[in-house]
Amino acid sequence: MAGIRVENIVKLFGRVKALNGVSLEVRDQEFVVLLGPSGCGKTTLLRIIAGLEHAESGRVFIGDRDVTALPPRSRKIAMVFQNYAVFPHLTVFENIAFGLRMQKALPERLRAQVERAATLMHIENLLERYPAQLSGGQRQRVAVARALAVEPEVLLMDEPLSNLDALLRLEMRAELKRLLAESRTTTLYVTHDQVEAMSLADRIAVMNAGRVVQYDEPMKVYQEPADTFVGGFIGSPPMNFLRLPVEGSQARIQSLTLELPSSPPGKDVLLGVRPEDLEAHLEPQPQSFPARVLVVEPLGSHLLLTLAYEQQQLKVTVPPDFAAKSGQTLWLRPQPGRLRWLDPASGQSLTHARQA
Amino acid sequence: MSTRTIYLALAVLLALWVVVPIFLIATLAFSDRASVFAWPKGILPQHFSLETISFFFGVAGVGKAIGNSLIVAGLTLLFAVLLGAPAGYALARYRFAGADAYRILILLTRAFPLAILAIPLAVRFINLGLYDTPLGVALVHTALALPFAVLVTSSLFLGIPRELEEAAWTLGCNRIQAFLKVVLPLALPGLAATAIFAFVISWNEVFAATLLTLRERTLPAFLLTALNDSPLPFRFAGGFFLIVPALVFIFVIRRYLFTLWGIANR
Ligand SMILES: Nc1ncnc2c1ncn2[C@@H]1O[C@H](COP(=O)(O)OP(=O)(O)OP(=O)(O)O)[C@@H](O)[C@H]1O
Ligand SMILES: [Mg+2]
Repeated sequence: MAGIRVENIVKLFGRVKALNGVSLEVRDQEFVVLLGPSGCGKTTLLRIIAGLEHAESGRVFIGDRDVTALPPRSRKIAMVFQNYAVFPHLTVFENIAFGLRMQKALPERLRAQVERAATLMHIENLLERYPAQLSGGQRQRVAVARALAVEPEVLLMDEPLSNLDALLRLEMRAELKRLLAESRTTTLYVTHDQVEAMSLADRIAVMNAGRVVQYDEPMKVYQEPADTFVGGFIGSPPMNFLRLPVEGSQARIQSLTLELPSSPPGKDVLLGVRPEDLEAHLEPQPQSFPARVLVVEPLGSHLLLTLAYEQQQLKVTVPPDFAAKSGQTLWLRPQPGRLRWLDPASGQSLTHARQA
Repeated sequence: MSTRTIYLALAVLLALWVVVPIFLIATLAFSDRASVFAWPKGILPQHFSLETISFFFGVAGVGKAIGNSLIVAGLTLLFAVLLGAPAGYALARYRFAGADAYRILILLTRAFPLAILAIPLAVRFINLGLYDTPLGVALVHTALALPFAVLVTSSLFLGIPRELEEAAWTLGCNRIQAFLKVVLPLALPGLAATAIFAFVISWNEVFAATLLTLRERTLPAFLLTALNDSPLPFRFAGGFFLIVPALVFIFVIRRYLFTLWGIANR
């Protein structure tokens, strides 16, 4: 068993800076999810850890070994590729057995391991087929099973469930989590899916434009985003950001004044607040501010309201029986303790020191 | 008349243009002497007979020429694949300075007229002791076949996703093992096609073979010199032997030629 540590990875593709000084530590047996928009460098980071790509600078450690110069086969990792990379000329069985055959595993162990991994991914009845005879989702599961079968120290997974239907994904997600917790495999897992990230991760590393912008436990990342990017990227609908004038150590929303944790550098400050952390009322309330309803969207479990406060728009979720009409003015009461304050110039949180 | 009908008519015309001579040669190669000289000739072979063929094989030098052709084509095949496949792999997998220039350079070698090369080549071969040997001819044929071998194998390897190899590396293979276990099985049919293509190029090549040999003639070189003063049946049988291997091989590998030329994969 081993942790992963990468230090100051810089990776250029020609003039494109795919990774711009990434440092990340995954503890032994930890499950870390890399989350970020398309093209932010998630796959590139995994490939560098796997040894498939060489960084311009920086080091990679697995366990206590500096593996920066080692080829992939000596790194004791297994990887699930974004496009599966299932061997088309081998049956499902031989695909899953590939790594074990390279390890010269005994026949009994080989068969047992293959069957275990296949059963886990629900492909045990497809073992004799060739990949061309499988659906995309089945191929993806073969790829995951192939990586699990070798029982690696470190498992790198690049969107391994992206091609499954919602129900199967939910099930696989739970099983993967159980299995990996059981086998205590250190895992670095890439996904686009925030819900998947929140549900699987011990910690989430949020990436943007070749950097890790926040690395923390899922609830922390959700509730205490390090900057406007994280707040806007995580959560659906995203966090609201209201630009408010500063008066001394307080911010003002009409008659409502809110205490700031530290005095901001500029004349304005950004208030970050999640749509569920604004309590909507039909009547004026203490500790609240008025906003006009623009759109009402019923979403089943709740209503999603789009409102305007002065020129700024914000989203609020309210219970499904809430009587809101567009054009109406509502009074919004921010939940104390759930507010984030950010610097409008840099987008950084006032309390959250930026991580390297 | 719609354009479609015109295209169809043109296609039929073109097909007949190619097929009729081949058909005549083939049928007459398997007819008796009388029908070779008969006029008008029937559409279908009238008297099936191996007389013409056996006469052809009876002519002195034919057996040796066929043997030489086999040796030369075999060597060409071997050289073309052994040299061409690694170059194609490098072109497909590595980004190196001048890769594009290299690609064009390979094609340019085909633009260089063999006629200009022939005399210096013959002189050099005489100096080296390669003149009038199958090996010498095979070397020239390799030079002719190599551009195709490199470009075909490069597109072949390009068609095999890099991630397959990378997956093999992460599963414990070194580069050579990954190539042997993953790339080679997938590339094998295409490599076979490349080999056959090299074989056919060599089998049909006549110019270099004629210039660089005196006694060790390959079949086309031998026939070229023998054809004009030979009886008609000999010409038909000879023509048949020149055409058939190429046709059969091209037919076998047509799928790869289609993909090479950008026609939809069937
Ligand atoms: N081989 C390459 N050559 C040139 N640029 C590349 C290459 N691979 C990746 N890039 C660039 O590097 C950046 C990061 O790519 P990467 O594949 O790591 O993104 P990603 O976060 O995995 O995105 P996605 O979520 O869409 O898979 C992108 O801008 C991409 O265009
Ligand atoms: Mg990716």
